[in-house]
Amino acid sequence: MSAPTVSGPPPTPAGERRKVTERQRILPSPVTGQELVLIGVIAVLWIVLWLSTPAFLTANSLQPLLGAVAPIAVIGIGMTIVIITGGIDISVSGIIMVCAVVVAKTLVDYETSIWVVLLMSIGIGALLGLINGLLIAYGRVHAIIITFGTTNIFQWLGLQIFGGNTVSGIPDTLATFGNGAAGRTWGVPHAFAITVVLAAIAWWYLRHTAGGRHYFAIGGDPVAARLAGVRVRPRIASAYVLTGLLAGLGACFLVAQSSTLAQNVGTGKELAVIAAVVIGGTSIMGGRGSVLGTLLGALLVQTVSSGVTQLGWPSQLSDLFVGIAIIVAVGADLIRERARRRAR
Amino acid sequence: MKRTRLTTAAITLGVAGALVLAGCTKKNEADTSAGAGGGDTGAATTTENAGGAAGSAGASAAGGAGSAAGSAAQGSAAGSGSAGAAGAGSVEKASKNFKVAFVPKLQGIPYFEAMNAGGKQAASDMGVTWLYQGPTQADAAAQADIVRNLIQQKVDALFIAPNDPGSMAPVIQQGIDGGIKVGTSDTDAPDSARQVFVSQASTEGIGQGLTDELMKAMGNKGKYAIVSCGETAENLNSWIKVQQAYTKEKYPDAEIVDVVYAGEDVAKATQMATDLMNANPDLTGLVGECTSSAPGVAQAVKDAGKIGKVFTVGLGTPQTMAPYLKDGSSSASVLWDVQALGYLTVWAGVQMAEGKEFAAKPEIGTDNLKDVSYDAATKTLLLGPPLVLTKDNVDNYNF
Repeated sequence: MSAPTVSGPPPTPAGERRKVTERQRILPSPVTGQELVLIGVIAVLWIVLWLSTPAFLTANSLQPLLGAVAPIAVIGIGMTIVIITGGIDISVSGIIMVCAVVVAKTLVDYETSIWVVLLMSIGIGALLGLINGLLIAYGRVHAIIITFGTTNIFQWLGLQIFGGNTVSGIPDTLATFGNGAAGRTWGVPHAFAITVVLAAIAWWYLRHTAGGRHYFAIGGDPVAARLAGVRVRPRIASAYVLTGLLAGLGACFLVAQSSTLAQNVGTGKELAVIAAVVIGGTSIMGGRGSVLGTLLGALLVQTVSSGVTQLGWPSQLSDLFVGIAIIVAVGADLIRERARRRAR
Repeated sequence: MKRTRLTTAAITLGVAGALVLAGCTKKNEADTSAGAGGGDTGAATTTENAGGAAGSAGASAAGGAGSAAGSAAQGSAAGSGSAGAAGAGSVEKASKNFKVAFVPKLQGIPYFEAMNAGGKQAASDMGVTWLYQGPTQADAAAQADIVRNLIQQKVDALFIAPNDPGSMAPVIQQGIDGGIKVGTSDTDAPDSARQVFVSQASTEGIGQGLTDELMKAMGNKGKYAIVSCGETAENLNSWIKVQQAYTKEKYPDAEIVDVVYAGEDVAKATQMATDLMNANPDLTGLVGECTSSAPGVAQAVKDAGKIGKVFTVGLGTPQTMAPYLKDGSSSASVLWDVQALGYLTVWAGVQMAEGKEFAAKPEIGTDNLKDVSYDAATKTLLLGPPLVLTKDNVDNYNF
């Protein structure tokens, strides 16, 4: 699905070589080993499922699958960058909750256009992300603590807006992001197409611009990055703003998928997103990673979950398989890292 | 995710305050979008609704025919209930102002808010004090803290819908030792010393009701699948067992092909229902076993454009199911009158506090509680047969 976003060989990067990557390779290869493995695994799974289930490789099955991948993958783009800088953002569940309930309530109570709610959701997400970013970049407390705190605050805020009720009867203003017929063009779910486009932009930015490489430099060694002239704090903050913004977009995708919205809309989403990022080969220690891998990671998780159901296997097996995938991915990352150290 | 108690306390306080605020400001928006709007449950979470302070049972404002518990006493300061249009008025007053407390699995969800509304109404009708307090997430430890707290406050009767029946048993014993009448409501703790279980419906009633409604839509034959929620949820699993046995026995041409578990996640239930339809092209029925998977399976049928080809039933609350019942993606929702359950809980608490025994067919005096029965062997007070929601009656219920 996402293979076409990988373009040809990179042009020579301008400027940043002398700043940050004096001793590193100039650029990693466009597709990492982990991504190739993931593409292979997903391809094998799809073929196996195609052969062993009546309808896995049909539009009716793949369209909802890609629709379900979209919210996780789109937030995963931001999360990848956060994790590349050596941080983590577990508050996305809270951000999703606040954005989703604001969107849902607005749609129920007012006649609004899709653009208004979309901008509102993204704006609120970015604002909440900014709170995270400022606290983490300037507060010098580890991101997991800060976002653990803010996720509780955001959830409180969300519950307050929910006001003790599930939001029901949400009109289909956002149908263009939904799983129904209105949510597709030429058979491709819009939410997934948007995710792929954003992932492609992020992939290019991270790989081919000085700004993008700065995230890697910060994750590799923040002190060295600062000495090399990277403005570390604003850049860290920007990663959380981006994650919040994308969580706002992801929340719109989620609201579009149902006419009812419960308070647990964000529950567990932070772990699903982090799982996709880690399975995609991004190092949880920072410094290495790619959004393409994250997209593939999200796709793998959803393939496993759908596959287990379509094969008629017990539901809890999908948790087992995802768990194994995470461990294998982290293990592969460690092995690669050791090999790299030894090579130097 | 483990939280510290301090955080939980802060959140509980915050949410309580916030919801009170929200309850005050949201009322005027109740009538947007024809019946399917955000609802107007007076969403105060920690409420003490003493005798005459009626009127705050905001949820009753739009109460329809069936929910007599909700329709009484619109703004009646006397709280006698005789103002109710449904003629609910003959409930006996309590001999003194007992404190009846209920601890839901979690607060802030429509289901328990509806129970809260019914409980408030009963407290106001009977002249007792109603305390409603629960954790913000379905967390057993946080819930046990709240229960212990209420035991220390020396309430007269205490009801719990335990998240974890096993770990609640010693806490229940603690309450009984402290001279408090302790019962369970909505969810039982069968191995505890609880003195009564206020049951919404019998396991057979729900399981058979779901099966009958689905078979009616499917023409008594065909393959169907069940999308359940928590894999360890005792009540869901016992309903599923009844559905399996009952389908085999009464509908030989029908077959359950799969049971899957989606957790309490609407989107996941939708995705799993979609996968089930793809895996079984001849599937003509789906059951959403809980309040999150009931709208989930209906949404899947709607998205796949299979309304009229694949039929769904589920255990969904009226407001979330209304759009699906109306567009045909859901044929029926089997539930019980949740407000009446709250009402019955308070009534049971008052009886126990008065030291009275339950009769086998107790006379409670309201119209929607006339099917209540009591089984002394299991100490179970049963609300009655389940309520079947269809497109025709769904707008009568406002939770």
